[in-house]
Amino acid sequence: MRPRVAVGLATPAIPGEMIMLTAWTDLEDTLRTFDLLQRRLGRAFEPPGALDSTAARDRLVVRRRPRAAWPATNVLEGKDAFLVKAEVPGLTEGDVSVSVEEESLVIRGERKAEVPEGYRAHLHERPSIAFTRKIPLPARVDAEGVTATLRDGVLTVTLPKAREALPRPIAVKAG
Amino acid sequence: MNQVTTTQNSNGTSTARANHRRAVAPSVDIFENADELLVIVDVPGVPSDGIDLQVQNDTLTLAARRRDLEGAGRPEAPALVREYEEADFVASLRIPAGIDTAAIAAETRHGTLVVRLPKAAAARARKIVVRPQSGD
Repeated sequence: MRPRVAVGLATPAIPGEMIMLTAWTDLEDTLRTFDLLQRRLGRAFEPPGALDSTAARDRLVVRRRPRAAWPATNVLEGKDAFLVKAEVPGLTEGDVSVSVEEESLVIRGERKAEVPEGYRAHLHERPSIAFTRKIPLPARVDAEGVTATLRDGVLTVTLPKAREALPRPIAVKAG
Repeated sequence: MNQVTTTQNSNGTSTARANHRRAVAPSVDIFENADELLVIVDVPGVPSDGIDLQVQNDTLTLAARRRDLEGAGRPEAPALVREYEEADFVASLRIPAGIDTAAIAAETRHGTLVVRLPKAAAARARKIVVRPQSGD
């Protein structure tokens, strides 16, 4: 474990909780610290006893893996095509649309992951989300030749490079 | 915490771990109603035959293997953007008392795993009927 330099204060006012502002060594850790700060600030303005209700406690539930964007997407470059892969567990073909718009690939869709009727949630990490992701393409693609498949919750879009984007050998002549 | 740090550092540099399959924790929902616990796990990229679900004592253990794992023997295209790592998923769940473990059922659904853990009859909430005093 890397040594950390504490630049802030440590005030464990709530038993079992330790807040320490550290240098920017670990993003995940920093986000967690913000979560904790936010929760404690939130608590400061709650009237005494307000947290005893289940609804109030549920508001304090923090998602375990905060993500910048959903779905998480990888862009790979092959010799004559780009490959865009997005993790969309739970979605079927009808839930997602793919289009090439100008210099970007646009993925739209919606995932419904609400608490089912009549159930209560103990843990709810899977987000319900309507999304639009615009992925800038690093080179021109042949929009006609773009294909997309969805299998086991992974969307794979293959975008063939346009002819002008493919490498072209230049003959060198003697001068 | 350490695992997350390692994952972030290794983004895009996967050539050195050709045969070493890595695993991460999936996102999980746990719901409950009067009859069952309903567990939904995001396992994108895992086919139904890649799921290994075990019940031992009071623990439910999931190991989910991805179909195509980058770096596992085949050449990997260079990544321009990498927001997720193609890794397997592992998770374990403590089964609370009152679950009929013999009746646990699971199915895959488009990259999610749905596990139903029915409550044993004795553990279900029962309404007690209050009758008027008999004999008159």
